[in-house]
Amino acid sequence: MIISYKWLSSILGLLIAGGILTLVRRDYLHTRYAIWWLCIAVGVLVLGFFPGLVDMVGSPFGVHYPPILLVILCLGLVLIKMLTMDLERSRHERELRRLAQRLALLESLKSIESDESRKNAYQ
Amino acid sequence: METKSSIIVIIPAKNEESTVGDVVQKIHAELQCEVVVIDDVSEDSTVQAASSAGATVLPLTVHLGAWGAIQTGLRYALREGYLIAVTMDADGQHPPSAIHDLVAAVESEQADMAIGACIQRGSRARHVAWMIFRQISGISLEDLTSGFRAYNRTAMTLLASRRATLLDYQDMGVLILLRRAGLRVVERPVEMCQRESGTSRIFSSWWVVFKYMLVSCILCLAKR
Repeated sequence: MIISYKWLSSILGLLIAGGILTLVRRDYLHTRYAIWWLCIAVGVLVLGFFPGLVDMVGSPFGVHYPPILLVILCLGLVLIKMLTMDLERSRHERELRRLAQRLALLESLKSIESDESRKNAYQ
Repeated sequence: METKSSIIVIIPAKNEESTVGDVVQKIHAELQCEVVVIDDVSEDSTVQAASSAGATVLPLTVHLGAWGAIQTGLRYALREGYLIAVTMDADGQHPPSAIHDLVAAVESEQADMAIGACIQRGSRARHVAWMIFRQISGISLEDLTSGFRAYNRTAMTLLASRRATLLDYQDMGVLILLRRAGLRVVERPVEMCQRESGTSRIFSSWWVVFKYMLVSCILCLAKR
């Protein structure tokens, strides 16, 4: 028995979208990132159920082999995601450095002499 | 006349147990001021050496590199209300006697930052690097990489800010930031001693040099 490719893509779409939603529901994904992944989930679902959409969009743009449009689109999205991830990493790096510096300020070890003078001051 | 208590000396140190104590003592012999050593996660007894020589030690928990350590010192200096911060290397190549010169340049309001410049030092490669940086960045200073500098409070505030936190080195990024903020930088010639121990971090291996050059060139191009 040959299963229609529509069924296959719908099931795949459902699995991917369901997986993303589960991660969001269980708080494994921060809401900030969840928005992006929810959009991806919706896209995967829609394209899973209506794979013909790719052809419909591809033809008017003169793409001879419409599925390549999807591949290019996905690559573009992956690039955007990677760039935003690096932006986020830079933000984290900045915060980490500020925190490490603040911690060093809080843990400052005054010299032995000034420790002694402080003790004397409190006596 | 310089007010001794308004000056702080900031020394970033990583595995410098053999020299840092001596450097701190020489500074104290030269002028009465707080010396703060920022320990960039040393594996030797740098902290003990600096502390027993009379320095305040700020121990970093994460390796931040020389600039991250200096910025920690600048934040400390601002919090403690110091008016002038002098940064020096922990390897003993900067003569403490020259601190007065740098401080005088900043105190007389000729500049917001003064660089202790030693253009005689360095290999030909280093001079080529400086020339490239000068060309790309449009900054015409002689010694771009010297870590011997004095900052006033305006410069300290700018350089302690979040804007300067993602810099990796004390040289080009800092100079470009100062220039863009319209702050004045002057150079004072300084006789630098031979490094007492260790080697330059930046010019230690070809790979490190290549990475440093690339990062600095990108910085010069992106921020000029």
